[in-house]
Amino acid sequence: MHSHFVLLVLFAFFVSLVFSVMAKDDPREQLRFGGLMFGGFVVSAIVLGWLMFPFPL
Amino acid sequence: MRDTAAEQTQTGGLVLLCLASWALPGVGHLWQGRRQKGLIFLVALPLMFAIGLGLRGRLFPFDLSEPLVGLAAFADLGIGIPYFIANALGFGLGDVRAVTYEYGNAFLIVAGLLNLLVIIDAYDVALGRK
Repeated sequence: MHSHFVLLVLFAFFVSLVFSVMAKDDPREQLRFGGLMFGGFVVSAIVLGWLMFPFPL
Repeated sequence: MRDTAAEQTQTGGLVLLCLASWALPGVGHLWQGRRQKGLIFLVALPLMFAIGLGLRGRLFPFDLSEPLVGLAAFADLGIGIPYFIANALGFGLGDVRAVTYEYGNAFLIVAGLLNLLVIIDAYDVALGRK
């Protein structure tokens, strides 16, 4: 459990799950909304990570 | 007069609902017959909290002289009974040297904050807004 990426994915999964279940009532909509949110979390983290790559900090 | 008594009963019920929802994540939804949502919250939020403890995150003390520490403590408390169980069993001491320390803190704090949102959601359902 020391992989940063696995922990990021796990965190994104839980947050997306709770938000999608809270925001939508229909299971299909929950799945769609949760999947979009999960994908958004993971992709934006990777993009931000690469954008920060050139900086020394 | 009757309206006032009915309102008081309703207010009492709402307070009880919010307290139950805080104590055990998802119970507010289960109480209102939303089984799918309630069960998911009941499993996901304590599991997220437990993972935070497993990652050697810290249950912050109520040190209000350090505003961020105080706020983190309130966020940790948002998970309800699991917080007290973890405290009683001596978990959540935090290990700053652990690679996963900050991740653990993020899991613990966010689990508590998500439960606060779940309480608000249960309250909205009770009022018929959702």
